[in-house]
Amino acid sequence: MRLTDASVAIRPRSAWEALDLGVLLARRHAGLLMASWALVTLPIFAVLCLLLWESPGWAVLLFWWLKPAYERLPLYILSHALFGDTPSLKQALRALPGLLNPQLLASLTWRRFSLTRSFDLPTLQLENLSGQARSQRLVVLGQRDAGAATWLTLVGMHLEMALWLGLISLFYLLLPQQIELNWSWQSLIDAAAGDWLWLEHLSNLLYALLLVVWEPVYVACGFTLYLNRRTALEAWDIELVFRQLRQRLTGVAYALLLGCGLLLLQAPSPAWAESASSGPLPMEDPFGPQSERLLKQPLSSQAARQSIEQLLDQPPFEHRETVTRWRFGEEQQTEELDQGTIKNLLKLIEAFFKLGEFWKTLDGVALFFEALLWAAVLGVVGLLLWRYRDWLSTFVGRLGPVQRRTSAPPSQLFGLEVAPDSLPEDVASEVERLWAEQPRAALGLLYRALLSRLLHDYRLPLKSAHTEAEVLQLVQGLEQTELIDFSQALTLHWQNLAYGHRVPPADSLHSLCAGWRRQFDGGAPA
Amino acid sequence: MPSSITTPPAVPHPVLDTRYQVETPEGIDLLLRPAGLVPRALAFAIDLTIRGLLLLVLFIVLGLLGQFGMGLATVLLFLVTWWYMVLFEVFNQGRTPGKQLLGLRVIHDDGTPVGWAASLTRNLLRFVDILPFGYTLGILSCLNHPAFKRLGDLAAGTLVVYRDLPIARPVLPQAESLRAPFALSFSEQRAFQGFAERADSLSSARRAELAAILAEPLQVPAEQAEQQINGIARGLLGST
Repeated sequence: MRLTDASVAIRPRSAWEALDLGVLLARRHAGLLMASWALVTLPIFAVLCLLLWESPGWAVLLFWWLKPAYERLPLYILSHALFGDTPSLKQALRALPGLLNPQLLASLTWRRFSLTRSFDLPTLQLENLSGQARSQRLVVLGQRDAGAATWLTLVGMHLEMALWLGLISLFYLLLPQQIELNWSWQSLIDAAAGDWLWLEHLSNLLYALLLVVWEPVYVACGFTLYLNRRTALEAWDIELVFRQLRQRLTGVAYALLLGCGLLLLQAPSPAWAESASSGPLPMEDPFGPQSERLLKQPLSSQAARQSIEQLLDQPPFEHRETVTRWRFGEEQQTEELDQGTIKNLLKLIEAFFKLGEFWKTLDGVALFFEALLWAAVLGVVGLLLWRYRDWLSTFVGRLGPVQRRTSAPPSQLFGLEVAPDSLPEDVASEVERLWAEQPRAALGLLYRALLSRLLHDYRLPLKSAHTEAEVLQLVQGLEQTELIDFSQALTLHWQNLAYGHRVPPADSLHSLCAGWRRQFDGGAPA
Repeated sequence: MPSSITTPPAVPHPVLDTRYQVETPEGIDLLLRPAGLVPRALAFAIDLTIRGLLLLVLFIVLGLLGQFGMGLATVLLFLVTWWYMVLFEVFNQGRTPGKQLLGLRVIHDDGTPVGWAASLTRNLLRFVDILPFGYTLGILSCLNHPAFKRLGDLAAGTLVVYRDLPIARPVLPQAESLRAPFALSFSEQRAFQGFAERADSLSSARRAELAAILAEPLQVPAEQAEQQINGIARGLLGST
């Protein structure tokens, strides 16, 4: 064993940290540890299952009982791996029979229920102690970290349970639904009846599998706990540094000696100087920095020290504050409970119960608080909705119907009045009347009337920002062929007249008026 | 699989240690000591017990108050279940009562105190760690992470570490203070100090054995080496 080869940082740790180091150690060699554990335990488990097929409970109990025997292999691997000599899987398995030999009976009988099993195992296996020597050694080792070892075993037991239940529930969750239907909990409980032997063996197998994960960690934790205890007892960390220091210094000395020899051949005096400097340094000031000095100077060391202390006593260096607080007065009376106080106590309890009875009559209060809580919940929901209304509207706007969001229809489009009451009763006759003198006003009136109808009868969401072409597109969305044709013709003529000053021919006016009557005055829109 | 194990690693592994190093922007290395599965499981068990007892007492006392009491108890059940850990962690320097007893605390990955967001995340995600039953995922994740994090810790970026407890002033054995005859690095100074401080826990034979290692470089006979080392430790400590 050479401490300089250790693959873990050697220093005294707290017991818990030693356990953590064990987890890390097991993690580093996880592949080897788990593979070797599985190769040893799973065949044994299979044999036990076959032998005791009728009583799965006994099979798993025996398997569990043999745990100390399997635990020797991970410890062998870890103890070699600690100093960089990691065995191969084959080497480890070959070493197993030799490991099992010493004190197997004791491990499997009266020491089986020892709570510090993993902590004690290295004493047996690595130090080869037995009998009196072993128990003395355990007393010394157990002076400090035995508590942590006990907790490790207790936590480990619960952990095995938790993992086992976890694996079983995972297995249950992964069952296809068709099978699950047939497996009511009732039939699972009836498993003891014997129909479900294979299921019990399956759950035992899950236990054997989870041990593959947990047991190497358990052994490693016990091992590092043991290492930590020995580090503390034997100061391994100090030994390590001392040895390195010695190597450094004596190495330097050898180099110096060599240098001396080389230099002696040519010039002896510098060589002597060299060796003198490697000796102990002379004490420069026998009284240390505390002694009084500079006594004949204007500023003596004593005066300087005083002024330094004064400075250090002032605010930037020294911060003093007075804290005043209320405190309970000292309890002076320490009388024992006499009859009177007991009676008082009973009375108090009685009063308390009476208070309870009183409260029971006040279920109205409960109702009130219930209402209050619900109001608070609703208030908070409302507040949240209001707070994030903009964010929500980006989603809700697409879901809801379009009309909901249209504001009041505009009364003017392209500077044209489109409110229904600004139009005459009979639009078509009015247009025909106006046509002779003011064709522009006539066509304008007709277009205006169309927009008004689109707005109010068809509820088209027109805005003052729309152009004529956009209005036409919206109309096409209504999917009414006649209306679309009419609107297209009217818009074309209106644009020609309004922007191009080209008066449409008279017969097109008649067709427009006829179209209008057909479309709107005939009561076409719903 | 065995073949991959048997081949010796070409690059030797770094030395295993349980410390976790964080460098601050000022260039200072903070050494944190992440806590592993066993103390954390115990802390959780303590917290679970406390919560159980608390709820039991609450239900008995509030049961006397009829419907109102039961309503109040339900509200408190919610608070205790979901906020016990969070409130303690945020307001009590990352320590729930169980963690406090075990000497643990929760911090962010960078060593800063745990905040609302991280604490809520790590405690709400307990429900992932519990899956499929009894913290199976949490246990496996904790065993397999170099800093012993469960899934909630991974998501929240938190770390459970051992608290640094105040150190009692060590008592050095009586010796005349000396100056070291050679320059000592920091770790070597620590070793000298450690030798003197831990003298009580070492057997005298072991002390002599350790001191004898340095007898030759100290240029003293092996019997005086121990006294010499104690003297140097005192000298390193300075005037007290």
